[in-house]
Amino acid sequence: MLRVKRKAFLTIAIFVAGVMLGATSTSAAGQSLDELYKLALKEGGTLNFYATLAQINAEKILPVFEKRFPGIKVNHVDATADKLAARAITEARGGRVISDIFQMALENVLQVIDQKLVVDWLPPEAAAYPANLKAANWMAADMVIITASWNTSLVKKEDEPKQFDDFADPKWKGKLIAEARDVELLIGLAKHKYKNDEKAFDFVRKLAANNIEFHKGHSELAEFLVAGQAAACVTCYAHHYPPRIKKGAPLGYMLTEGIATITANALAKDAPHPNTARLFYRWSASEEGQKAYAAGGRLPPHPKVEPVEKIRPATVYPIGTDEIKEWRKYEKIWKEILKLR
Amino acid sequence: MATATIPLIGRVNMPTLRDPALLVPVIGAGILVYLAVLPLLMLFVGSFQAEVAPREFVYTLKNYKAAYASEYTYSTFMNSLIFASGSAALSFVLGTMLAWLTERTNTPLRSIFVPIAVVPLILPGVLESIAWIFLLSPKFGYLNVWLTSLFGLRSPPFNVFSLPGMIWVHSVGQVPLAFLLMVAAFKSMDPSLEESAMMSGANTWQTFRRVTFRLLMPTVASVMLILFVRTLESFETPALIGIPARIYVYTSEIYLAFNEYPPDYGRGGALAVGLLLLSAVGVWMYTRVTKEGKKFQTVTGKAFRPRQFDLGGWRWVGFGFLTFYFVFVVLLPFLVLFWASFLPFFATPSWDALNKLSLDNYRYLGGFRPFWDAMKNSIILSTLTATVAMVLTSLVAWIVYKSRLPGSWILDFLAFVPITIPGIVMGMSLILLYVAFPVPIYGTIWVLLIAYVTRYIPYGMRAASGSILQIHNELEEAASASGASWWETFKRVTLPLLRPGLVAGWIYICIVSFREFSTSVLLATGESRVLSILLFTMFEQGQVTVVAAIGVLMIATLLSIVAVFYKLTGKVGIQT
Repeated sequence: MLRVKRKAFLTIAIFVAGVMLGATSTSAAGQSLDELYKLALKEGGTLNFYATLAQINAEKILPVFEKRFPGIKVNHVDATADKLAARAITEARGGRVISDIFQMALENVLQVIDQKLVVDWLPPEAAAYPANLKAANWMAADMVIITASWNTSLVKKEDEPKQFDDFADPKWKGKLIAEARDVELLIGLAKHKYKNDEKAFDFVRKLAANNIEFHKGHSELAEFLVAGQAAACVTCYAHHYPPRIKKGAPLGYMLTEGIATITANALAKDAPHPNTARLFYRWSASEEGQKAYAAGGRLPPHPKVEPVEKIRPATVYPIGTDEIKEWRKYEKIWKEILKLR
Repeated sequence: MATATIPLIGRVNMPTLRDPALLVPVIGAGILVYLAVLPLLMLFVGSFQAEVAPREFVYTLKNYKAAYASEYTYSTFMNSLIFASGSAALSFVLGTMLAWLTERTNTPLRSIFVPIAVVPLILPGVLESIAWIFLLSPKFGYLNVWLTSLFGLRSPPFNVFSLPGMIWVHSVGQVPLAFLLMVAAFKSMDPSLEESAMMSGANTWQTFRRVTFRLLMPTVASVMLILFVRTLESFETPALIGIPARIYVYTSEIYLAFNEYPPDYGRGGALAVGLLLLSAVGVWMYTRVTKEGKKFQTVTGKAFRPRQFDLGGWRWVGFGFLTFYFVFVVLLPFLVLFWASFLPFFATPSWDALNKLSLDNYRYLGGFRPFWDAMKNSIILSTLTATVAMVLTSLVAWIVYKSRLPGSWILDFLAFVPITIPGIVMGMSLILLYVAFPVPIYGTIWVLLIAYVTRYIPYGMRAASGSILQIHNELEEAASASGASWWETFKRVTLPLLRPGLVAGWIYICIVSFREFSTSVLLATGESRVLSILLFTMFEQGQVTVVAAIGVLMIATLLSIVAVFYKLTGKVGIQT
């Protein structure tokens, strides 16, 4: 009698637990943004946003979120992705989690995931995205196009590059700048353009022979280009150029081909403001949020949202999960050829 | 040098064991041990730890191997050596020339140049480096562009992104210190030896070479040492100029170790221990050379006036040199920052650029929350640091010089220890400390407060002990004889007499902590931004003209603090 009773009790308990669990997850999925907003307000109204989002875009995008959800202020912690990752790791070691949500280059998001600083959670809005733009614990927030750009006062119209290969020409010697960490250029060309590793390595060797000057930070590269520090940039971000050109900067950029990298969102584990983080994550993944990103000058990955600025090139070489897997291999060769640390 | 040390003439009545006020100095001492010693212990321990899995550590010696037997060890060592000795030499030469011209010669208008030589202290190290990048960047630096077009040169004459460039930029920021130290030395020289030489027929140059300079040798050695050590510990120039130029020194190697994936505390710690040892050796040598004269403030009774050299016609050359220095080395960085702050993006001066001038950057800052957060944090931190440091060091100075507590000399030593700790090492040590004991102050401004207070205790001690030594015991004894307790005496007699020294120390610590960079760079987070880090981050991200605007506002704030100081105490200058 007792055994049967215990078995029955256990069965019922498991059933109830299952229903409750299901109910919670269902309610999370079925929860409207406004319900989540109310929970977020109770957390104090701050979001610690560890994001590499360039100021020039953030100042247009974040106010839209703050206007949509009054009472919530975004504390944008702005640094290059490697520093943000290092910072999050150090903070975790110090026993404090400060970040609520990460939004940075996929390769750096994978680092914080590797360090067990992220929860496995995707917003229900993720359903609209293709499989190669998401995983269990991250999804694309926007896409960044790496392409070539130049100073129009220093480069004649007929010399403007039409494709990356043009930079192999010795006429560009001593006139180029690039970002030291843009291994994506090598990966994109090897896997999608040439479909041949050796050809891609050869191209990078020719670039090395042109004595590229390396700097850290794409915004900095754009500013250097404007100032005339170099004639052209081999790996610059397309979305940096329309706003600067509007301000009168003498710049041009390539739209024939480009490398598409993913900037990913990931929710921090033990975040100090978890509901606020979820709210932002859901908003930025939604059509509404993606339209704000587009209006702010970014390239939205949402299949139904088009970019506002002309920043999507005709041919795109995407760097998704498969390409990221071979990152280390290509990074090693990139650093060797270009003699980088 | 005619200086006199005051012997310690007897001690004030100690509170008895029954007097609860005894707790106050003992607590002060305990705090000092916690601040000065514990982080160093954690640093040492941390240098033997390696991470094998996220947040799992084992003990190993491989960090030292990675730090001192890697392919980069030699270049880091050579770069650091050249950078430190080059800067020490250059800032010494410039500082001595300025000091000599203004103190010991009849150069016209020399008294105006004294405060001017000290003005660069107002410019935070980060801004100094940024301003010189604006001026000497190879392709678009203003000086390069101007000289190239003026002389029709084929390539720009200067490249700031080089070791000589780093040496120049750092030296320029250190000249005020060299200047003040050498001025003090020149002021206190006994002229009788020089007069004897002149009377025996030596000319100005011979006297300088064979008498003046020889008399100065101990001071020269000590000044060069302190300049060398301070350069070795600095991080502003290595960060802003060295890293883009890929010239790495010890401080930048430590910083890079922390920003790798995953952050390598072990290697950073091993490097930091080495740097700390170098620094400690340097400071020890410095104290030996100065025979501990700097630790005790001394009363200098001046019984003579140092001799003025008559330069004859050459005094106009001296004047020319001072003017050139003022315009090109002191004024130009300020001007270029001011100019750049009105531009939408960096551009050389031209009619076209003039059309683009606007207040946009300032308007932008008006609504830019991180700027106001950083300004608020910097002001709070600098004022709190100065207050806490001065209160703490007054107590400690009282224990050391006025009480009969046995072993109080240990406190004096402990208070001096932080001067050997480079800022970035301090930042590192505190991270390691709060990793081992996860008290959740990491990431807040409180850990920054702890770091700053620890760093500036030696300066506070110098100010406090200098003042305390000059207070005669009779006053305190009188209060005690009239029935005041220890605490009442301290509060109502000692503290008010200490006030001038405390104010000077307070102002100095406030200014240096407002500008602080190398400690903050590892410790400041999104919730605890300070201005110097905001400058650095935004400059790295290419918002150079907004950075110039922040810089202008930062300088204005610092100038206001100095102006307040000038009003309160009637002095402009730093106690050395």
